[in-house]
Amino acid sequence: MRVGKSKRGRGILAVAVTGIGILFLCAVERQESKITSESALGSPRLVSIEELPDLGDICVSQPTTRSSSMIAALQDNNLFSAFQEKRVYASSQEGGQAGDVTRLPVRTIRDTYPIYSSVAVDPLRDEVVLQDTNLFGIKVFNRLENTPADAEAAKPKRVIQGPKTLNEYNNGLYIDPTTGNIHSVAMDTADSMIVFPGGANGDIAPIRKLNTPHRNFATAANEEKGEIYITIQYPPKVMVYRKDANGNDKPIRVLEGEHTKLYDTHGIVLDVKKNLMFVGTWGNASDYKVAGTGKFYPPSINVYPLDASGDTPPLRVIQGSRTQLDWAGGMSLDPDNGNLYVANDVGNSILVFRETDQGNVAPSRVIKGNKTGLSHPAGISVDLKNKEVWVSNMGNSSATCYSLTANGNAAPSRTIRSAPLGRTSVKFGKPQAVAYDSKREQYLVPN
Amino acid sequence: MNTPQIAVFARLAKENTVPVRALEGQRTMISRTMHSLAYDSVHDEIVVNSPLAQAILMFRGDANGEEPPLRVIQGPRTQIQGTDYDGNDKMAFDDVHGEIIIPVAGNKVLVFSRDANGDVEPIRVLSGPDTQIRGSVRGHALVGVDPINNLLIVGSTGGQGGGRDEGEGGRGGGRGRGALVIFDRTANGNAKPKAVIQGPHTALGGVATIQTYPPKGWIIAGSAGGSIGAWSIHDSGDAPPRWRIPVQQITGVAPSGVALDPVHKELIIASGGRNVLLTFYWPEIFD
Repeated sequence: MRVGKSKRGRGILAVAVTGIGILFLCAVERQESKITSESALGSPRLVSIEELPDLGDICVSQPTTRSSSMIAALQDNNLFSAFQEKRVYASSQEGGQAGDVTRLPVRTIRDTYPIYSSVAVDPLRDEVVLQDTNLFGIKVFNRLENTPADAEAAKPKRVIQGPKTLNEYNNGLYIDPTTGNIHSVAMDTADSMIVFPGGANGDIAPIRKLNTPHRNFATAANEEKGEIYITIQYPPKVMVYRKDANGNDKPIRVLEGEHTKLYDTHGIVLDVKKNLMFVGTWGNASDYKVAGTGKFYPPSINVYPLDASGDTPPLRVIQGSRTQLDWAGGMSLDPDNGNLYVANDVGNSILVFRETDQGNVAPSRVIKGNKTGLSHPAGISVDLKNKEVWVSNMGNSSATCYSLTANGNAAPSRTIRSAPLGRTSVKFGKPQAVAYDSKREQYLVPN
Repeated sequence: MNTPQIAVFARLAKENTVPVRALEGQRTMISRTMHSLAYDSVHDEIVVNSPLAQAILMFRGDANGEEPPLRVIQGPRTQIQGTDYDGNDKMAFDDVHGEIIIPVAGNKVLVFSRDANGDVEPIRVLSGPDTQIRGSVRGHALVGVDPINNLLIVGSTGGQGGGRDEGEGGRGGGRGRGALVIFDRTANGNAKPKAVIQGPHTALGGVATIQTYPPKGWIIAGSAGGSIGAWSIHDSGDAPPRWRIPVQQITGVAPSGVALDPVHKELIIASGGRNVLLTFYWPEIFD
């Protein structure tokens, strides 16, 4: 069988267009009518199993129909795209060339607004920096920005975004308090930590790019020792590098092993004065080297010595039903008052623990409720200078700010909003697969 | 990927359409790296891997919020084993025979009954040198099933990582090494394949899912250059796809997962690289 590619004349008379248009509008109506009737009958079901006849070369040499392509064009609101197609036939095994189908997609699902995974405050510039993990950008706002209710979205002061930035699925965030350098953990498709100079703007290349293991997530730094920490979700570990590490530089030390109780590692925060490292886990566990070792543990916050390495067990573990931990993301610390702030994503809350907490302990304070503006809070940053805590909300393209002493159903003191008020995010995060629910006519999309 | 979820969208959803529901949270036991999932249309259930915990989860078809799975397959008897890079992230579901098929580390394919729960042994294990199954360097083979024509299709890769045989649309080597290895559906042990589609003209690679359309005998899989190809179940050797949608060429977006909607004659593409879902009208493979 062949691949046929008959060329169409480019000049189409208006009369012909009108006539064809009438024809395919009829076809659309028939097609929609057919679909409606099929839908009314329910989803397709298996009614019998019969052996497929030996079809040999089964490809069908029917050309792409004009009506079908024009339906697609109509659905895409682009009438003339249908005329740009080539007539194609299926290839055969002997033909050596595939029959290309080049019609445009009929529908696209995506989120055109930012999805904010992490937040940090730049004390040098009095700015709030937000990681947009949807559009792969870093958006920088004035710290005192407070988006009015009637505004569609706040305008950032600067946006670091574009192919030169190498920033993809960006999550973990650290701002150097001296230089303002922005450290961005680029996850998944990037597997790196990239660094931009303070004040960076536009589509610029990072000044450093440290290649990290797959499934990196969060970061924190020990400025006194010039070290930067990066959590790896799985196989779970905490990598510690020189702060200026670059390229394929090796870590100074690594915390990993069965005694660490690191299971699906997430947020991290350091208390340099007390020599402590706090690491959040989600409890999904297995040793990839051994079959059948999978287990689910309750989520936890594990506390280690600051310089822990190897298979070091935690000093303490905060874990249990009273903790309310539910896919906790970022963590931040007020060392002066010994308070540990946790962005509790699916719990739609901010949990505040004492640094000294241990076991199945309830948080000392919980910010939660319909006045808070919280919606899948994933990132958190304590601003010690201004006695505030900032939260990035993945669920509504916003960042909300609270007093460090806020509690309960507290309204934010300010909100930076990058989508219309009330909008809910699609919350895509690398949708690698899709399944079709034929009963409900729905798409199932995992992140 | 920052936070896992299984978001559910109406078929006609478009840009910025909000999901109708989402599965998420600690009690769901889902984790990141869910690179395969399936809808069981016979029993109205969702089947998905929990890739970091060497588990398979089954939920009600309309599960929502922080809902726990109905059943969990996990434990030493299961033989489920991931890799450092992929976890155990691949799976296919046979809703005619009620079987879950998962490739695991060590170039094995395990088959479980959908009724299984807890620490259970697989009902079949396909593995051995005669199978010609090759996972990627740090991942697994891919699997698809044609329950009507009784075929098991294994995407034997050999690429560098991520379970793919990265062709032009991928990031690594392995081009031309990929193969679609076709077995009897119930093949067990060190079984030989019925046919192997392999060679430079096949241009296999780039997508982590294999789908089938049994009424027409199609195998839908990734093709080089960010394309989706359709091969016949009767193909063998160095066979190019009979049909191809050059997704990346058309849209600028590389596909990573695919699903079929035969009623509406549509191909659904997930792009893990660019946070987008695309739906193509593709009557050629359904008519």
